[in-house]
Amino acid sequence: MKDVIASPSVRALALQKGIDLKELASALNRETITREDLQGTSRNITQISTGTSHWDVDHAAFGPVRREPMTRFAKVAAANLEASNAMIPQVTHHDRADVSMIEALRADWKEEAQVRGVKLTALAFHVKALAHALRAYPRFNASLAADTETLILKDYVHIGVAVDTEHGLMVPVVRDADQKGLWLIASEIAALAARAQRRKIGPNEMGGASMTITNLGGLGGTAFTPIVNPPEVAILGITRVETVTVWDGEKPTPRPMVPLDLSYDHRVINGADAARFMNHLCGLLSDPRQMTI
Amino acid sequence: MADNHAEFIVLGAGPGGYACAFRAADLGREVVLVDPRASLGGVCLNEGCIPSKALLHAAELIRDAQHSDGWGISTGNVSVDIDKLRARKDGIVAQLTAGLSSLAERRNVRIIRGEAAFTGPKTLDIDGDSWTFEQAVIAVGSAPVQLPGWPADNRIWDSSAALELRKVPKRLAIVGGGIIGLEMATVYAALGARVVVIEFMEQIAPGVDFEAVKVLHKALESQGVTIHTRTKVSSVKATKTALTLSCEGMFSGDVKVDAAIQAVGRRASGGIVNADAAGVTTDEKGVIVVDSHCQTNIEGIFAVGDVTGNPMVAHRATYQGHVAAEVASGHAVAFETTLIPSVAYTNPELAWVGLNQGQAKEQDITHEVVGFPWSASGRNLASGSEEGFTKLVYCPNSHRLLGATLVGQNAGELLSECVLAIEMGATLKDIALTVHAHPTLSETIQLATERALGSITDL
Repeated sequence: MKDVIASPSVRALALQKGIDLKELASALNRETITREDLQGTSRNITQISTGTSHWDVDHAAFGPVRREPMTRFAKVAAANLEASNAMIPQVTHHDRADVSMIEALRADWKEEAQVRGVKLTALAFHVKALAHALRAYPRFNASLAADTETLILKDYVHIGVAVDTEHGLMVPVVRDADQKGLWLIASEIAALAARAQRRKIGPNEMGGASMTITNLGGLGGTAFTPIVNPPEVAILGITRVETVTVWDGEKPTPRPMVPLDLSYDHRVINGADAARFMNHLCGLLSDPRQMTI
Repeated sequence: MADNHAEFIVLGAGPGGYACAFRAADLGREVVLVDPRASLGGVCLNEGCIPSKALLHAAELIRDAQHSDGWGISTGNVSVDIDKLRARKDGIVAQLTAGLSSLAERRNVRIIRGEAAFTGPKTLDIDGDSWTFEQAVIAVGSAPVQLPGWPADNRIWDSSAALELRKVPKRLAIVGGGIIGLEMATVYAALGARVVVIEFMEQIAPGVDFEAVKVLHKALESQGVTIHTRTKVSSVKATKTALTLSCEGMFSGDVKVDAAIQAVGRRASGGIVNADAAGVTTDEKGVIVVDSHCQTNIEGIFAVGDVTGNPMVAHRATYQGHVAAEVASGHAVAFETTLIPSVAYTNPELAWVGLNQGQAKEQDITHEVVGFPWSASGRNLASGSEEGFTKLVYCPNSHRLLGATLVGQNAGELLSECVLAIEMGATLKDIALTVHAHPTLSETIQLATERALGSITDL
């Protein structure tokens, strides 16, 4: 008791709830315990370990374990993700876009792609469409200043593309994606991804993105909730295209639909903004001709 | 026999017992309160805290009148009508105990006047009547320690007898310089007795901050009290004309007096209720051992107050009384604080809580000490006193208070701020940033914290 600061009424409440203040203080890594700390704690207290944190557990007591140090790379990523999750009030908006026209175009241009030596991926269309949408919705192409007093709106559109490498997650950036054609975007993505795998990405090829795309389309999934990559205000997640029966106005029609998940910083973007943004984006994806106008 | 059944029975109607009984009644229990005295309130109200405070107030009136000359106020010779004084004191006691009776009545607490003794873990005898009970609380308090080897003589008083104010002896010896002895010295010196205090330890108020005790020691001497520390009474002879106390130690020789007060401490009265019969453990000092829930080793039997040991003070008993009533009624509470404030209502008052400088040093606890002299307090000077100080012991790392000692007029009234500060974990800065009214003596606590923080402008 001596080391925990708690007022007499808080100590009485702890007694009433059967909470050991010393245990709680050490679990919370704190010296002072207030009334708020005891709210709802009575049921959870048994789960709070007596050590210094939730992770201070002797796992070997439950079976054989192996220890692997976290790489420096992984530690940096972990710190960023932790900060993002802790500091940004995030909301994820789910939608899906009809990609039958994109798939038709890709099929039509297959021969040309072989000639050009570029694989025209669906991701290239996503990057292009997102760049377009960001021009139409400038608040999504913005960052909060460190003091959160000012919103910084960007007059450029760079799209980050999350790449899964054996060292961990890397996010190279396609610069000025709004001004580039699909072929160029597709070839840049391929080159950046290949160099990311070899860890040959220069620091100037990462960072400064308007928004990041994280694409699990090739792997699967129907939806997920990506975490905003600060200082960006949103991130677009993509999962696997599904053929879904859609009512086309007269009859049910099978349509290839891509699920999209937009996580955004609610301090900057409201739900209605996100819905409008996604409507626009899905429109561009379902009819890429709009991007040429 | 089955007629005498109590759901909740409290033995002893002192501050621990009545607080327990009233709290239990408020929690919906059917309560029986047993005490041999004619009036409720126990030692505290009848022959302790309250009557002594009345006499100490009278002592202050006398002293103020005697020292009013310096303020240009002449009162002439002060004379004391001891019968009137006694009546006033008894009137205050009667008023308070009557108040308690009406509080008991309002709560439907049944009061039985009698001596209770356990006959088993669920049975009691009250003046020959057999009782059964579901839960019992032992709150039978303590009694003054009787020094061995003293003759039987009605000029030898304990604190209860001293407070009866039978007469003011010309010469009075007080054996034991603790709180009770010093309060009696303050009263009888003001009433005109020549008082000698004999203390076995090296200072009066043993265990209390030595600097604060020094202030009180000097003040008592200036009030005409002779103090012999490190002195032991080796024998007492009673003759027709006087009591002769033979002393050994720092002072050796005979002290001839007309009355003597034994004030060497109190002994827990665990033995008087035959707790053994219930299976309740009582130690060799008469103390009934309880846990933080005031529970004895026997299920359903609780104990509170002096009978559970030191410190034997009413405010601890009351607190425990509430805990016992609540625990017995199924609430999850405990008596867990170690912070019991102490006050000697002498002139000047001496008040302390928590660790003092000497104890911190002795126990090798990291600490700093800061003081504020009351000679720099406008309120103190304007109230006719130059003595006194506030002394805080704090942790230099956390800046939290570890203890406080105050000496001076009304020191006891100021102490609670320090107790609250420690209970709340307040830092020096918390106290320094709390606005204290000016001019008050309580400012000295704030000023001491400012001094520790280096922000003081009053020194």
